[in-house]
Amino acid sequence: MTLGSEVPLYEVRNASKHYGSVVALDDVSMKIHAGEVVGLVGDNGAGKSTLVKILSGAHQPTSGQVFLDGIERHWKSPQDALEAGVETLYQESGLAPHLSVSSNVFLGREEYVKGPLGKFGFLAQKKMDRIAHENLEKVGIAVPQSNRSISQLSGGQRQAVAIGRAVSWAKHVIILDEPTNHLGARQAKEVLQIIKNAKAQGLGVIFISHTLPHVLEITDRIVCLRLGKVVADAPTSTFDAEKLLGTITGLIDSK
Amino acid sequence: MNKVASRVKSAFGNQQVLLLTVLVVMVAFFTSRNSVFFSNAVFGNILSDWSPIVLIAIGETFVIISGGIDLSVGSTVGVSGVVGAITMEGMTNHHQGQNLTLVVGLLVTLGVGLLVGIINALMITKAKVVPFIATLVTMGAGAGLSIVFTGGDPIGGGPAKAISLSVPDFGPLSRPGLVVVIIIAALGIVLHKARFGRYTFAIGSNSFAARAAGINVNRHLAKVYILSSLLASCAGYYFYLRLGSGAPTSGQGGELQAIAAVVIGGAALSGGVGNFFGTALGALILTTVTSGLIIINVAANWDQVAVALLIAAAVLLQQYRNRVRK
Ligand SMILES: Nc1ncnc2c1ncn2[C@@H]1O[C@H](COP(=O)(O)OP(=O)(O)O)[C@@H](O)[C@H]1O
Ligand SMILES: [Mg+2]
Repeated sequence: MTLGSEVPLYEVRNASKHYGSVVALDDVSMKIHAGEVVGLVGDNGAGKSTLVKILSGAHQPTSGQVFLDGIERHWKSPQDALEAGVETLYQESGLAPHLSVSSNVFLGREEYVKGPLGKFGFLAQKKMDRIAHENLEKVGIAVPQSNRSISQLSGGQRQAVAIGRAVSWAKHVIILDEPTNHLGARQAKEVLQIIKNAKAQGLGVIFISHTLPHVLEITDRIVCLRLGKVVADAPTSTFDAEKLLGTITGLIDSK
Repeated sequence: MNKVASRVKSAFGNQQVLLLTVLVVMVAFFTSRNSVFFSNAVFGNILSDWSPIVLIAIGETFVIISGGIDLSVGSTVGVSGVVGAITMEGMTNHHQGQNLTLVVGLLVTLGVGLLVGIINALMITKAKVVPFIATLVTMGAGAGLSIVFTGGDPIGGGPAKAISLSVPDFGPLSRPGLVVVIIIAALGIVLHKARFGRYTFAIGSNSFAARAAGINVNRHLAKVYILSSLLASCAGYYFYLRLGSGAPTSGQGGELQAIAAVVIGGAALSGGVGNFFGTALGALILTTVTSGLIIINVAANWDQVAVALLIAAAVLLQQYRNRVRK
């Protein structure tokens, strides 16, 4: 692989995050290239979700830097990262249950009616319903009706909508925090297929999961966190299930 | 027939059809007990009572949908009306024209509302005080200040024209009443058809998701609380026009009536749920009960009991619905 020599698509250098006295992340660095799927693994509390929030602009690191396409960026809010083409699926629900599927897909990116009313923020709901449906379909999701509210969907359908939204908007990087959690085998397989499609389109994907067979199947490289530190960063081909589990739990120390 | 019914249902939602039914039943009941009830004069009175309540209730609808609460609206009605009245009394004493006085009085009244809204917004979004406490603070301060400013008495002595504006010109509606209808209709459209309303629902439904989607949650909440206080000051001015004076007590208990109207209208205090027609009808039901009970000669204190029962019924209905949905 020659990926290592190119400018990484997305990079975090020496990031630390303290919550009061808790050190959630300690001097973490990682890179991701276009068309690459990086698996981020680690035990509960290892700091995966914290790293995700730094990469997505939801939290600011206590120290450290973030680079997109080699240029240093300072995300002040998720909006900054979204506008730069970095989409995130959070582990906590990122959907508003009382809003419809399409309102969620377009949340923060609404389409407005033409003319002066649009200037006042009048929503082009029909148009959003239609495009949301098309986009979800394109991503490969069995789409529920666009105007149904999220609270009427099953857990799997909700997750599918959340993933579909992230993938359909992503321009550069997509971060998925435990996207296959609570999903049945068939739905999980659909999610993996969506990730493969995103990779084929040249997106950089960060995939977080506790389901190690999925990580081994889908990723090109694996970064392992333990107690807020990176303890492994190597091509997926160098891992097997046993070694990966050992690295996560600390029974195998690769550093 | 069924088609029409289902159209009505989809246009208004089940809750509103129910509220409309309750309202019709009430009107029929009160009319059957005393036929005077069914008259332009009584309807005009009900609408005059309804106008200030629906103003603050619509503001409260935005606040409650966003997942918050605004307890300060009642006392903001009082303090804004009082400060406006003092301004207009002073201008009249200095022989300023009536129209100019009314316009300056309006701007001052709204200015007080704006100020209260900004204080609420700063406490909630910057100091991170929970809305219940933040607005409890401004509720107390506003009520206290309006007594301090007036010594407890209504402030009259403003333009004589004020009260003559409040005669019913449009059927049972007065000119200020018509303005109220226009304001709340516009806000109903904003709530359900525009970005501002969409973000209000999104934040109340899941504020983490709203922020993650790039919405500036704090800035939006600040606007919602400012809107609520501004509408309360509109109600303060409405009372001034109706009474020809600014009374420190004019909005007393208004926050409870507003919250009652919103809850009866189908909103959930946990946020993310609520609608314009529900609130407007909820407020109309409240004022109809009050007027009706007076007209059929039921002792005034039963009014509060009736309102309590309506709230209880609305909450039970909501819980029943939630259970059915799950
Ligand atoms: N908002 C927060 N406040 C305080 N501590 C937190 C917060 N978020 C996470 N932590 C702590 O940081 C550590 C890492 O958590 P997290 O990033 O969620 O881990 P993971 O996603 O790998 O399970 C844990 O010890 C967790 O308790
Ligand atoms: Mg996590």
